[in-house]
Amino acid sequence: METNSVKPSSTEASDALRTLSADREQLAAGVRVPWILLAAFGGVAAWWVSGAVSTSPGEDYAAPTSGWLGIVALLVVVYLIRRETGVRFRKMGARAGWAVAGIVAICLLLFSVSLGLVSFGLHWAVVLTSVLAFAATTWLAGLAYKSAVDQLHRA
Amino acid sequence: MPEARFDEVIHAPVRLRICGLLHPVDHLDFAVLRDTLNVSDATLSKHLRTLTTAEYVSSSKAASAGRDDARRITWVSLTRSGRSAFEAHVRALQEIAGVV
Repeated sequence: METNSVKPSSTEASDALRTLSADREQLAAGVRVPWILLAAFGGVAAWWVSGAVSTSPGEDYAAPTSGWLGIVALLVVVYLIRRETGVRFRKMGARAGWAVAGIVAICLLLFSVSLGLVSFGLHWAVVLTSVLAFAATTWLAGLAYKSAVDQLHRA
Repeated sequence: MPEARFDEVIHAPVRLRICGLLHPVDHLDFAVLRDTLNVSDATLSKHLRTLTTAEYVSSSKAASAGRDDARRITWVSLTRSGRSAFEAHVRALQEIAGVV
Protein backbone atom coordinates (compact mmCIF):
# COMPACT_ATOMS: atom_id res chain seq x y z
CA MET A 1 0.00 0.00 0.00
CA GLU A 2 1.27 3.41 -0.95
CA THR A 3 1.70 5.55 2.16
CA ASN A 4 3.42 8.82 2.96
CA SER A 5 4.13 8.63 6.68
CA VAL A 6 6.14 11.89 6.81
CA LYS A 7 4.33 15.20 6.57
CA PRO A 8 5.21 17.07 3.39
CA SER A 9 7.34 20.17 3.19
CA SER A 10 5.81 23.50 2.28
CA THR A 11 6.84 23.04 -1.37
CA GLU A 12 5.42 19.50 -1.52
CA ALA A 13 2.15 20.67 0.01
CA SER A 14 1.93 23.48 -2.56
CA ASP A 15 2.64 21.00 -5.35
CA ALA A 16 -0.08 18.66 -4.06
CA LEU A 17 -2.61 21.51 -3.98
CA ARG A 18 -1.61 22.55 -7.50
CA THR A 19 -2.07 18.96 -8.69
CA LEU A 20 -5.58 18.90 -7.24
CA SER A 21 -6.45 22.08 -9.17
CA ALA A 22 -4.91 20.72 -12.37
CA ASP A 23 -6.90 17.48 -12.04
CA ARG A 24 -10.15 19.40 -11.65
CA GLU A 25 -9.29 21.47 -14.70
CA GLN A 26 -8.61 18.30 -16.65
CA LEU A 27 -11.84 16.70 -15.48
CA ALA A 28 -13.82 19.79 -16.53
CA ALA A 29 -12.00 19.91 -19.87
CA GLY A 30 -12.76 16.24 -20.49
CA VAL A 31 -16.51 16.62 -19.93
CA ARG A 32 -18.04 17.33 -23.32
CA VAL A 33 -21.49 18.86 -23.57
CA PRO A 34 -23.84 16.07 -24.73
CA TRP A 35 -25.70 18.23 -27.28
CA ILE A 36 -27.66 15.34 -28.80
CA LEU A 37 -29.11 14.42 -25.42
CA LEU A 38 -29.68 18.07 -24.56
CA ALA A 39 -31.59 18.32 -27.84
CA ALA A 40 -33.72 15.48 -26.50
CA PHE A 41 -34.78 17.89 -23.72
CA GLY A 42 -35.75 20.28 -26.50
CA GLY A 43 -37.67 17.49 -28.20
CA VAL A 44 -39.64 16.77 -25.04
CA ALA A 45 -40.44 20.49 -24.66
CA ALA A 46 -41.55 20.74 -28.31
CA TRP A 47 -43.72 17.64 -27.92
CA TRP A 48 -45.35 19.06 -24.79
CA VAL A 49 -46.03 22.44 -26.41
CA SER A 50 -47.42 20.75 -29.53
CA GLY A 51 -49.87 18.89 -27.27
CA ALA A 52 -51.95 22.09 -27.35
CA VAL A 53 -53.18 21.04 -30.82
CA SER A 54 -55.12 18.10 -29.37
CA THR A 55 -56.97 20.26 -26.83
CA SER A 56 -60.17 22.27 -27.11
CA PRO A 57 -59.52 25.68 -25.56
CA GLY A 58 -62.65 27.08 -23.97
CA GLU A 59 -65.18 25.93 -21.40
CA ASP A 60 -64.65 22.22 -22.05
CA TYR A 61 -60.84 22.52 -21.97
CA ALA A 62 -59.08 19.50 -20.50
CA ALA A 63 -55.31 19.63 -19.95
CA PRO A 64 -53.43 17.06 -22.05
CA THR A 65 -52.13 14.05 -20.15
CA SER A 66 -48.79 14.32 -21.96
CA GLY A 67 -47.36 16.27 -19.01
CA TRP A 68 -46.71 13.15 -16.95
CA LEU A 69 -45.18 11.35 -19.89
CA GLY A 70 -42.99 14.41 -20.45
CA ILE A 71 -41.67 14.22 -16.88
CA VAL A 72 -40.85 10.53 -17.34
CA ALA A 73 -39.09 11.36 -20.62
CA LEU A 74 -37.07 14.10 -18.88
CA LEU A 75 -35.94 11.65 -16.17
CA VAL A 76 -34.88 9.16 -18.85
CA VAL A 77 -32.83 11.86 -20.61
CA VAL A 78 -31.16 12.85 -17.31
CA TYR A 79 -30.27 9.19 -16.74
CA LEU A 80 -28.84 8.91 -20.27
CA ILE A 81 -26.77 12.09 -19.86
CA ARG A 82 -25.22 10.78 -16.65
CA ARG A 83 -24.45 7.45 -18.30
CA GLU A 84 -23.01 9.11 -21.38
CA THR A 85 -20.75 11.57 -19.55
CA GLY A 86 -19.89 9.46 -16.48
CA VAL A 87 -20.42 12.46 -14.22
CA ARG A 88 -23.16 13.09 -11.69
CA PHE A 89 -22.83 16.72 -10.65
CA ARG A 90 -23.06 17.74 -7.02
CA LYS A 91 -23.86 21.38 -7.73
CA MET A 92 -25.27 22.88 -10.91
CA GLY A 93 -24.71 26.53 -10.02
CA ALA A 94 -27.00 29.58 -9.98
CA ARG A 95 -26.80 29.99 -13.76
CA ALA A 96 -28.26 26.50 -14.17
CA GLY A 97 -31.10 27.38 -11.81
CA TRP A 98 -31.94 30.44 -13.89
CA ALA A 99 -31.71 28.40 -17.09
CA VAL A 100 -34.14 25.77 -15.76
CA ALA A 101 -36.52 28.51 -14.56
CA GLY A 102 -36.26 30.02 -18.03
CA ILE A 103 -37.12 26.69 -19.66
CA VAL A 104 -40.22 26.31 -17.49
CA ALA A 105 -41.34 29.91 -18.09
CA ILE A 106 -40.77 29.78 -21.86
CA CYS A 107 -42.54 26.41 -22.23
CA LEU A 108 -45.54 27.63 -20.22
CA LEU A 109 -45.67 30.83 -22.26
CA LEU A 110 -45.40 28.97 -25.57
CA PHE A 111 -48.03 26.45 -24.47
CA SER A 112 -50.39 29.34 -23.62
CA VAL A 113 -49.66 30.99 -26.97
CA SER A 114 -50.32 27.64 -28.68
CA LEU A 115 -53.69 27.34 -26.93
CA GLY A 116 -54.52 30.83 -28.16
CA LEU A 117 -53.53 29.90 -31.71
CA VAL A 118 -55.64 26.72 -31.57
CA SER A 119 -58.63 28.70 -30.27
CA PHE A 120 -58.37 30.91 -33.38
CA GLY A 121 -58.20 27.82 -35.59
CA LEU A 122 -54.52 28.37 -36.41
CA HIS A 123 -53.48 24.80 -35.63
CA TRP A 124 -50.63 24.91 -38.15
CA ALA A 125 -48.96 27.79 -36.26
CA VAL A 126 -48.31 25.49 -33.30
CA VAL A 127 -45.44 24.14 -35.38
CA LEU A 128 -43.73 27.51 -34.89
CA THR A 129 -44.22 27.57 -31.10
CA SER A 130 -42.99 23.96 -30.92
CA VAL A 131 -39.85 24.82 -32.89
CA LEU A 132 -39.28 27.81 -30.60
CA ALA A 133 -39.71 25.55 -27.54
CA PHE A 134 -37.20 23.08 -28.98
CA ALA A 135 -34.60 25.75 -29.73
CA ALA A 136 -34.98 27.66 -26.45
CA THR A 137 -34.96 24.51 -24.30
CA THR A 138 -31.93 23.01 -26.05
CA TRP A 139 -29.99 26.27 -25.74
CA LEU A 140 -30.92 26.82 -22.09
CA ALA A 141 -30.18 23.19 -21.21
CA GLY A 142 -26.74 23.71 -22.75
CA LEU A 143 -26.23 26.79 -20.57
CA ALA A 144 -27.29 24.81 -17.50
CA TYR A 145 -24.88 22.00 -18.34
CA LYS A 146 -21.99 24.41 -18.91
CA SER A 147 -22.80 26.02 -15.57
CA ALA A 148 -22.50 22.60 -13.89
CA VAL A 149 -19.15 22.00 -15.59
CA ASP A 150 -17.96 25.42 -14.39
CA GLN A 151 -18.73 24.33 -10.84
CA LEU A 152 -15.98 21.72 -11.15
CA HIS A 153 -13.42 24.53 -11.43
CA ARG A 154 -14.77 26.35 -8.40
CA ALA A 155 -14.99 23.36 -6.05
CA MET B 1 -14.39 25.26 7.30
CA PRO B 2 -13.17 21.93 8.80
CA GLU B 3 -10.31 21.75 11.27
CA ALA B 4 -6.99 20.87 9.66
CA ARG B 5 -6.09 17.19 10.04
CA PHE B 6 -3.33 15.47 8.10
CA ASP B 7 -4.62 12.08 6.87
CA GLU B 8 -2.03 9.45 5.95
CA VAL B 9 -4.53 7.33 4.03
CA ILE B 10 -5.53 10.21 1.80
CA HIS B 11 -2.10 11.77 1.38
CA ALA B 12 -0.67 9.04 -0.89
CA PRO B 13 -0.49 10.90 -4.26
CA VAL B 14 -2.97 8.83 -6.27
CA ARG B 15 -5.46 8.63 -3.41
CA LEU B 16 -5.22 12.38 -2.83
CA ARG B 17 -5.97 12.94 -6.52
CA ILE B 18 -8.88 10.44 -6.43
CA CYS B 19 -10.44 12.29 -3.51
CA GLY B 20 -9.73 15.62 -5.21
CA LEU B 21 -11.67 14.54 -8.29
CA LEU B 22 -14.54 13.00 -6.32
CA HIS B 23 -14.93 16.00 -4.03
CA PRO B 24 -16.63 18.41 -6.48
CA VAL B 25 -19.01 15.79 -7.89
CA ASP B 26 -21.73 13.54 -6.56
CA HIS B 27 -20.57 10.42 -8.42
CA LEU B 28 -17.93 9.74 -11.06
CA ASP B 29 -17.68 6.81 -13.43
CA PHE B 30 -14.66 4.57 -12.78
CA ALA B 31 -13.57 5.00 -16.42
CA VAL B 32 -13.69 8.81 -16.22
CA LEU B 33 -11.66 8.70 -13.00
CA ARG B 34 -9.10 6.33 -14.56
CA ASP B 35 -8.74 8.42 -17.72
CA THR B 36 -8.43 11.73 -15.85
CA LEU B 37 -5.77 10.31 -13.53
CA ASN B 38 -4.11 8.48 -16.43
CA VAL B 39 -3.58 5.30 -14.40
CA SER B 40 -4.35 1.65 -15.09
CA ASP B 41 -7.52 -0.14 -13.99
CA ALA B 42 -5.47 -2.20 -11.53
CA THR B 43 -3.80 0.82 -9.94
CA LEU B 44 -7.07 2.67 -9.56
CA SER B 45 -8.81 -0.42 -8.16
CA LYS B 46 -6.04 -0.91 -5.61
CA HIS B 47 -6.28 2.65 -4.31
CA LEU B 48 -10.07 2.61 -4.33
CA ARG B 49 -9.96 -0.56 -2.25
CA THR B 50 -7.78 1.20 0.33
CA LEU B 51 -10.12 4.20 0.42
CA THR B 52 -13.16 1.92 0.63
CA THR B 53 -11.60 0.01 3.53
CA ALA B 54 -11.13 3.35 5.30
CA GLU B 55 -14.81 4.06 4.54
CA TYR B 56 -13.84 7.19 2.60
CA VAL B 57 -15.21 5.97 -0.75
CA SER B 58 -18.18 3.92 -1.85
CA SER B 59 -18.99 2.43 -5.22
CA SER B 60 -22.01 0.98 -6.96
CA LYS B 61 -22.57 -0.69 -10.28
CA ALA B 62 -25.26 0.13 -12.84
CA ALA B 63 -26.22 -1.55 -16.09
CA SER B 64 -24.85 -0.04 -19.29
CA ALA B 65 -25.99 -1.26 -22.69
CA GLY B 66 -23.48 0.87 -24.54
CA ARG B 67 -20.25 -0.35 -22.96
CA ASP B 68 -18.26 -3.50 -23.38
CA ASP B 69 -16.67 -3.55 -19.89
CA ALA B 70 -19.01 -6.28 -18.65
CA ARG B 71 -21.84 -3.91 -19.64
CA ARG B 72 -21.62 -2.14 -16.29
CA ILE B 73 -20.79 1.36 -15.10
CA THR B 74 -19.09 1.59 -11.73
CA TRP B 75 -20.07 4.81 -9.99
CA VAL B 76 -17.59 5.99 -7.37
CA SER B 77 -18.30 8.63 -4.72
CA LEU B 78 -16.87 10.06 -1.52
CA THR B 79 -18.70 9.08 1.64
CA ARG B 80 -19.62 11.72 4.20
CA SER B 81 -16.59 10.78 6.33
CA GLY B 82 -14.38 10.73 3.23
CA ARG B 83 -15.53 14.22 2.30
CA SER B 84 -14.81 15.53 5.81
CA ALA B 85 -11.41 13.81 5.93
CA PHE B 86 -10.44 15.19 2.52
CA GLU B 87 -11.50 18.73 3.42
CA ALA B 88 -9.55 18.53 6.70
CA HIS B 89 -6.53 17.14 4.84
CA VAL B 90 -6.61 19.95 2.25
CA ARG B 91 -6.84 22.41 5.11
CA ALA B 92 -3.73 20.82 6.63
CA LEU B 93 -1.91 21.05 3.30
CA GLN B 94 -2.89 24.71 2.99
CA GLU B 95 -1.52 25.40 6.47
CA ILE B 96 1.74 23.62 5.64
CA ALA B 97 1.97 25.51 2.33
CA GLY B 98 1.17 28.75 4.12
CA VAL B 99 -1.78 29.68 1.94
CA VAL B 100 -4.30 30.18 4.79
